[in-house]
Amino acid sequence: MAEVKFVNVIKEFEDEKKGKVRAVNNANFVVKDKEFLVFVGPSGCGKTTSLRMIAGLERQSSGDIFIGNRLVNKVHPKDRDIAMVFQDYALYPHMTIKENLAFGLKNLKTPKAEIEAKIKEAAAILSIENLLDRKPRELSGGQKQRIAVGRAIVRNPSVFLFDEPLSNLDAKLRVQMRVELSELHKRLGATVIYVTHDQVEAMTLGQRIVVMNGGEIQQIASPEELYENPNNMFVAGFIGSPPMNFIKARLDGNQLMTADYTLTVPVGLLDKYKAYQKEEVVLGIRPEDIISLNLLNHQPNHNVIEPTLKVVEHLGAELLFYFNIGEDQVTGRVGADAKLKSLSKVKLYINMEKMHLFDPNTQERI
Amino acid sequence: MAATVSETSKKWSWVNFKQFMKDYGWCYAFIALPFLLFLVFTVYPLITAFIMSFQEYGILESKFIGFENYKYLLENEIFWKSMKNTVIYTVGTVPVNILITFFLALMIFPINKRSQTFFKASFYLPAVTSGITMSLIWLWMFDPTESGLMNIVLGWFGFDQQMWLASSDSALFSIMLMTYIGGHGSGVILYLAAMGGIPKSLYEAADIDAASWWSKLKNITWPLLKPTTLYMLITGVIGSFQVFEATYVMTQGGPNFATTTIAYLIYQHAFQYYQFGLASAEAFILGFVIIIISVLQFKYMSSDVEY
Repeated sequence: MAEVKFVNVIKEFEDEKKGKVRAVNNANFVVKDKEFLVFVGPSGCGKTTSLRMIAGLERQSSGDIFIGNRLVNKVHPKDRDIAMVFQDYALYPHMTIKENLAFGLKNLKTPKAEIEAKIKEAAAILSIENLLDRKPRELSGGQKQRIAVGRAIVRNPSVFLFDEPLSNLDAKLRVQMRVELSELHKRLGATVIYVTHDQVEAMTLGQRIVVMNGGEIQQIASPEELYENPNNMFVAGFIGSPPMNFIKARLDGNQLMTADYTLTVPVGLLDKYKAYQKEEVVLGIRPEDIISLNLLNHQPNHNVIEPTLKVVEHLGAELLFYFNIGEDQVTGRVGADAKLKSLSKVKLYINMEKMHLFDPNTQERI
Repeated sequence: MAATVSETSKKWSWVNFKQFMKDYGWCYAFIALPFLLFLVFTVYPLITAFIMSFQEYGILESKFIGFENYKYLLENEIFWKSMKNTVIYTVGTVPVNILITFFLALMIFPINKRSQTFFKASFYLPAVTSGITMSLIWLWMFDPTESGLMNIVLGWFGFDQQMWLASSDSALFSIMLMTYIGGHGSGVILYLAAMGGIPKSLYEAADIDAASWWSKLKNITWPLLKPTTLYMLITGVIGSFQVFEATYVMTQGGPNFATTTIAYLIYQHAFQYYQFGLASAEAFILGFVIIIISVLQFKYMSSDVEY
């Protein structure tokens, strides 16, 4: 049973210039046993600090941290039954790979035969048997990454902590390692807590995702839930690539007036927005919900706009296109068969069934 | 075709030379003066000394005597005694001082920056003080009477007074002791800088790997400081083979040649007995020994250093 629980956890740092800085503000969450939970957010949002507090490498300023129902506030990292994979891998450069893997077990006075067996097992899982006699400097980034994971596996911990482990790899290798990590999680059946600034990594790996910003947890939800129902503009803008478009608008009846166009809000959604009648709002619409009319079988009679495209980017299977509504830049994404051209005037259908409205002051979703 | 072009451009011609001087002339102009000084003050004396080592040198007239100076030295008891003293001094000071320096750096490293600066400055202070002044202070400390600091300290603990520099049994050790207590400034700074260069994540990984303080020291800090240690070992050995100042000021090589080092012997032969030929031969033997030791150190100790 390796549930990880944060209760009112606050972490403050003393900064020479800024004074007291709150890196994590009143965090409360539970990582379920055997769950793959991903922390995601921009640099300085407090995600790595949270992970380091779980590892015991940082002590929280206040609040309690539990690992497997045990209060670990004052427990040394080695006694927390965790293993961590660092962003820079943190392999001991002067030791061979085998010595790297054995180091932790040796410190724990594990019998030699058992160490050998565990290394053999981990090496087989990660296909690194042929690297054991090498030194870290002789390995590629991807191989180092495997060794770092191997070092965690041999310890057989209840909780695996990953601190941006793929950020130093090239894009292709990152995709491959993502798949491998996901498989590894299923195979090991351990709790995994994973930190990344890359929302694609978060979406593909996480069973649940914690989105953080400025030390605050913005939302904890499954990838689908985060994408479909973001709590606020930050989450909506952070999750999804390209991000959700935000367009200033004013709600009047079922009409949403933007700077250039008037759009119609679906009847089913109106009830939700009644407190914002005649108010300024922010319309949130994902790029894939802006559809080129030439791809539709039917001709909709509302929510069609006709902007001039500033730029069209060809990504192979799909196109990204950019245009303005008032001062807001809008991005759309369609299949390559839409054959859009830069600087041309095109008819686009906005799928308002998928719209979100945000309060411009609180930035919360309405 | 490309090869032909590059061959043509590499060929010497007046036009090419003019272009080359236009591109790089200034670089040569800048290094010309230091290079000239190097020739006059280093290369020329070195060649002269080498020639001198085969001569019976006189101010008015020098006589070429072949390997006589070298032969004389290799058969001379005092030369071998000074060689032995130098080796004992080197073996007795360099490794011990490296360990002391490492230990000091280890103590200073974890404390806050401001205190670190204080300690760095304190340990470095003797290095900016004149060696002669330091030796004079030590001369008082090693005073064999009851007024010497060392004897006062021994007295506190009920020990007998020692002769220190005045006895041939303890003189060399006293000079070695002097290096144990002072002169770690630059080493401490080097070690501190190197310690700061070890990634923090290695220690964090070791913490999670259940490593004790000792295990981290033995398995991470010490091995990763090997380049610094190797540097200190080589420069330390070179420096200690040339030790001169302390023996010159404090013991003049005595008593009974107990503290005569090679460098002091060179000085004696050159400037006290005006046997410049002999002194030059000694200097070349010393230089040769230093080169051999440095090469051996590099060969056998740098193999498993992680840079």
